[in-house]
Amino acid sequence: MAREQTPERGDAPAHEPTMAALAAAIREVEAPAAVRQDAVAFLQRHGVTGRDADALLYKGAERFLIYRTLVHNRLRAATREFIPRAVARRGTEAFGTDFAQFMAAHASHSPYLRDVPGEFVAWVLPRWQRDASIPAYLGDLARHELLEGEVRNDPHGGESPTGRPFALEATLVFDGTARLMHYHWAVHKLPYGTEDTTVPDEVETSLLVFRDAHAKVRYLELTRWAAGVVDQLLVQGRCVRDALQQAAAALGEPLDDDKLAKAATLFGELSDYGVLLGAG
Amino acid sequence: MKVTPTGVGLGLRAAFIEKVERGDADGRIAFLEIAPENYMHRGGKAPQRLARIAERIPLLSHGLMMSLGSTDPLDRDYFANLREFLARIDAPWHSDHLCWSGLDGALLHDLLPVPFTTASATRIASRVREAQDRLGVTMAVENVSWYLQLGQPQKDEPDFVTEVLERADCRLMLDVNNVFVNSVNHGFDPYAWLAKVPLDRVIQLHVAGHDRWEEDLIVDTHGNDVRDEVYDMLAWVLERTGPKPVVLERDSDIPPLPRLLDEVARIDEVYQAALARWNARETPRARHGS
Repeated sequence: MAREQTPERGDAPAHEPTMAALAAAIREVEAPAAVRQDAVAFLQRHGVTGRDADALLYKGAERFLIYRTLVHNRLRAATREFIPRAVARRGTEAFGTDFAQFMAAHASHSPYLRDVPGEFVAWVLPRWQRDASIPAYLGDLARHELLEGEVRNDPHGGESPTGRPFALEATLVFDGTARLMHYHWAVHKLPYGTEDTTVPDEVETSLLVFRDAHAKVRYLELTRWAAGVVDQLLVQGRCVRDALQQAAAALGEPLDDDKLAKAATLFGELSDYGVLLGAG
Repeated sequence: MKVTPTGVGLGLRAAFIEKVERGDADGRIAFLEIAPENYMHRGGKAPQRLARIAERIPLLSHGLMMSLGSTDPLDRDYFANLREFLARIDAPWHSDHLCWSGLDGALLHDLLPVPFTTASATRIASRVREAQDRLGVTMAVENVSWYLQLGQPQKDEPDFVTEVLERADCRLMLDVNNVFVNSVNHGFDPYAWLAKVPLDRVIQLHVAGHDRWEEDLIVDTHGNDVRDEVYDMLAWVLERTGPKPVVLERDSDIPPLPRLLDEVARIDEVYQAALARWNARETPRARHGS
């Protein structure tokens, strides 16, 4: 009767070992080899013994691994869909290994399948950067490919213009999907085909990326000056005056008439594109 | 007044949402079923398209990631987003699966099997009731395809499903194909299964196709046409439940929309014939009752 009064958990702990064992079979890198070698020992290591172990293995060790196959296939496919060129250049086998390690170490923490590619990329990038055998541009390419889906699906965006005029003391408001991206490689100029193996130029690149009024993802390549200004406004949240001064200082150059004229042109263009919504 | 469609509908997928939006399915489906996770907490084209479609076609909501069988706490943000979404589409009910999808915060994005025990049924029923309270709509749970027994069962699947339904006092989203898949993989009579569950709790049905992976294993891929055996089971159920919404699910190897609509039409033929038999049964009963 006590169980009836506390149905929130029931006697759940008695069942956690079977769930934990199945989760381990899905996530652990060495699980397939360990299960094939001695499935009973694998289950025992996760606290599953006796009839529970017999039940889990009643169709054999290989069947016990079927959920690993289903889960990895689904999540790898979702990830490949978002970063097809990075996966192609990494190679199917190496990508599979990366993904298995991601599942073991981190896995997904979002209920939305479309978030899994971003979770994978965030986890794998530092590892790719530490591995000298992996092309240095691959991380930039993965981040760039991922952007398309992230910006396309961003729950923000489409906000109305503020209606307030530009002023030196004002901050500026951007569309909620706007992101300023910096790459070391011009990965945005690579061909779209997954068979292509062109190495991108090693050149510092800044892109302002956003979703336009027609739900299309737009990429604006910015000069160093424009990128500095947008960084100060969008990322740092400074007012126009401070943004211009900080951006010039970052370049080690004076804030002269030429820069002011270019900033005015930039603001006009960004307003025309609908990504700059006015003063805050 | 919430819309509660009956007849045959289709699971909406990205592969053909554009065609549905422009009207290619108008008049050929009774409703659409959507996975809310594909539209919740999301901007851009997909939710805009769905809003335009919802102006013409009723929507039913069928979720994937509630993880009712898990021992993790229910995800507060997920439920808040889902509640807002269900209100927006005016969903008459919401269904999710009798499964778990994550443990210790790690989400595996699959329908993993639960133990067929009273403790498991009790826990799941409690979570279904909590889900219902959080969402403010009627909940239904779906029987899943399972390829493993998650520990020594205390009861068979229909008894387990019945226990969950009764403890939670919720509805059943009866997936006829899942019953068939499990009957093949685990060697039981699918009609005996159907006869054991409380059909008066059925609120909606699913049909789909599947694929054979091994000699003794078929997998619920939703990647094939519906098999004749599943049509027969669907008819058997409808003869006993009367009109319910029936959804054709297709998730892989998706054919062009016209072919899917032809399959919907074929399901509708089975549906109408079954309803005629249900009517023939019910009419004398009603006469005796009057």
